[in-house]
Amino acid sequence: MPPRKRPLEPSSGKPPPPDVKAIVPPPSDPPAAAQEIPPISAAILNNLPGPEREVYKRVYAAGNKGIWSQDLRHSMQLAAPTVTKLTRALVQRGILKEVTDVRHRGKKVFMDSRMEPAPEITGGTWYHNGQLDTEAVAAVRRRCLDQIDRLGAATPDMVHKGVEREDPRAGYMIDQIRDILKTMALDRVLEECRSTGEGEFSAVRSGRVCYRRGGAPQGGMIEGIPCGVCPRIDECSPDGVISPTTCVYYKKWLQMDF
Amino acid sequence: MVSQHGILLAVGIISDHFGPLVAKVCDCLLRHGELSLQEIVRRLELSPGQVKNSLLVLIQHNCVQAFSAPKGRDRTVTLYLAIFDNVLHRLRFSKFLSVIRADIPESEVLIEGLLQNGRLTFDQLVGRTISKVPEGSIRPAREEIRMNLNKLVHAHFVERCPKPEPFIDPLVVQQPTSSRRRAPKNFEKVISLEQKIVNTADLSDAERFSEIPYIIEDASDVNGCSRDPVDSAKRKRGAFEVDEELNSTIAENEVLWRANFEQFTFCLKKKFCADRKKLKLKVGTHPIWESFCEANLTEKDTDSVTSPINGILERLRQKEGGASMTLDQVTRVLEDLQCTTSNENPEAYTFDLRKMVESCRNEEIESLVKKKYGQAAFTIFRLLVTQGGPVETDQIIDTTILDKQIVHSTLYKLWKDDYVDTEKISSVAGTGYAQFYVWRAKSTFREQFIDNLYHAALNLRQMVNYIAELLLEGSKDDTKLRNRKNILILALTRHDDSLMLFHDF
Repeated sequence: MPPRKRPLEPSSGKPPPPDVKAIVPPPSDPPAAAQEIPPISAAILNNLPGPEREVYKRVYAAGNKGIWSQDLRHSMQLAAPTVTKLTRALVQRGILKEVTDVRHRGKKVFMDSRMEPAPEITGGTWYHNGQLDTEAVAAVRRRCLDQIDRLGAATPDMVHKGVEREDPRAGYMIDQIRDILKTMALDRVLEECRSTGEGEFSAVRSGRVCYRRGGAPQGGMIEGIPCGVCPRIDECSPDGVISPTTCVYYKKWLQMDF
Repeated sequence: MVSQHGILLAVGIISDHFGPLVAKVCDCLLRHGELSLQEIVRRLELSPGQVKNSLLVLIQHNCVQAFSAPKGRDRTVTLYLAIFDNVLHRLRFSKFLSVIRADIPESEVLIEGLLQNGRLTFDQLVGRTISKVPEGSIRPAREEIRMNLNKLVHAHFVERCPKPEPFIDPLVVQQPTSSRRRAPKNFEKVISLEQKIVNTADLSDAERFSEIPYIIEDASDVNGCSRDPVDSAKRKRGAFEVDEELNSTIAENEVLWRANFEQFTFCLKKKFCADRKKLKLKVGTHPIWESFCEANLTEKDTDSVTSPINGILERLRQKEGGASMTLDQVTRVLEDLQCTTSNENPEAYTFDLRKMVESCRNEEIESLVKKKYGQAAFTIFRLLVTQGGPVETDQIIDTTILDKQIVHSTLYKLWKDDYVDTEKISSVAGTGYAQFYVWRAKSTFREQFIDNLYHAALNLRQMVNYIAELLLEGSKDDTKLRNRKNILILALTRHDDSLMLFHDF
């Protein structure tokens, strides 16, 4: 199964070739710190009684993806109330925490309280408390669109830098901007194209993938007539109960009483 | 294979134009494929005379092609095959007329005659043209009519009729006879039996578009007008001339002419693409695009438009604001408009109509998905179409950045209405999941869309006929009904653009 979100890659030693024709050397991005998993705590283990220690070990082994209470029960071959009692005690002592799995919101997933949940569990950067943060998504889409409108055609790097310049506190990562731009291209708000290095692409190195404003939405020829979007089209036949001559949508469209 | 509603639409058109008996025969042929006269008689329980007459009408109007096929060892049988495309073209005769009105207005009356009557000889065309002239007006000379017909033939709008009954063995794979229809080697298109028969019946390109030889005769002057003395002076005498005269007489009296629907379709396709592209153009690029479309002279194939740069510039100079544009600006805009040059001819720009048509078709379907199921469905459907292969549910959620619940409910709606397909995949142990669901755009969604287009056209026609009946009864408000009928006819004409986009372009 693919990971829910691309993990943030640490910057490699060799910088990638710039998308923008060099005007001013761009400031290098701070290296994204890979999330470190803390070592298992000997102090905690020593202070825990046998069954609780075993639970903690298993939860710790599951890492930042956590472990589902049912899996824990099966692996330890314990009754459900016993597992509940043990995990509750550990949560109350602040050793474990319960996190919401975005894919299965009803499941109880436990994790070492010192760990940050993996993107697979949280849903990634656009999720907050297991819910999609639609306002944050809409805000970054607006910012990206502003940058595209300002630049004409731009690579994700150019958009990212523009957003950072306008609001340094926003702290969007380049991958986040790239994801948003891809979604906007899917929505036809933007158009993904390759730079020719000329005309409106003069600021972008030739051959680079960049984004520009998508044209006005086209299509929709069939939507002009009632049958185009009719939910009952499969039940309609020339001599059937539902037919054009008995159709309520036609009646409404033509504003006439048959 | 034509869809169910496609057949109903075609039969409806034939019924409206030629009556229920002919429609019955057409329906039988469309449903059962090629049949002999006896088989049609047996299936329809009509008299052989009625079926024969119906077939004659359909052949006259290019809706049926007859051909001989082997039966047993040394016998042949005549089979009849309905040509679905030509039946549907009857919906758009007004569009074909408008093409001629814009291109060769002096030949409009001739093309009108051919569209109304299917197949006519030159003599019949002359007779018809003269009969259409209002009393008191100057009658057109026979030479003038010949010149106007030759213009249509030269522009490939009119062609000589195909062989009346070619010999074809449906079991043997036929090669297309016309060079224009031959597909490139690397592009092997599956040709239907209908197409194979039509290709075999077609004459070679040289024969199809061979004009009436320019020979002046003293006799056979239908309208009785005297010949131009200057033209008469051009006449030559000799044995060679006798042959020429004979050819001319045959071309005038015996050769049947008909409208070449392929050329009309190509013109409408060009116009459709040009208009569609116009909406996406940036400020200041309109004159260049228009000049490119107008400068198109040579038509190598029906899938592209090629215009020489000199022609484009010449037309551009005549347009407002075009005179000040430099060659560099024009070439840059043309490249931006996806017009490409080839190594063979770097002075000519080619625009790929096939790619444009394909993207227009996608836009139509996506637009319908958006209208029916909302923005989220549009995004998901576009993702599945662009990916081409199966996409896992979580991957859809991540790529579209949509709420999980919305994605699930939308995928269900799209699956229920046959836009997408799903597959359950068992997970390997250790992933924490018992199974995954992958989704892909259904390969049949386009066929389903086309069937809905036919269905919608059928319904519009039914409504037009229904209102026409109400008008005959005279029980309702006439003006109101007439207005509604006009709305429906207009809607049908516009809807036909969609049909052409998906079926003919």
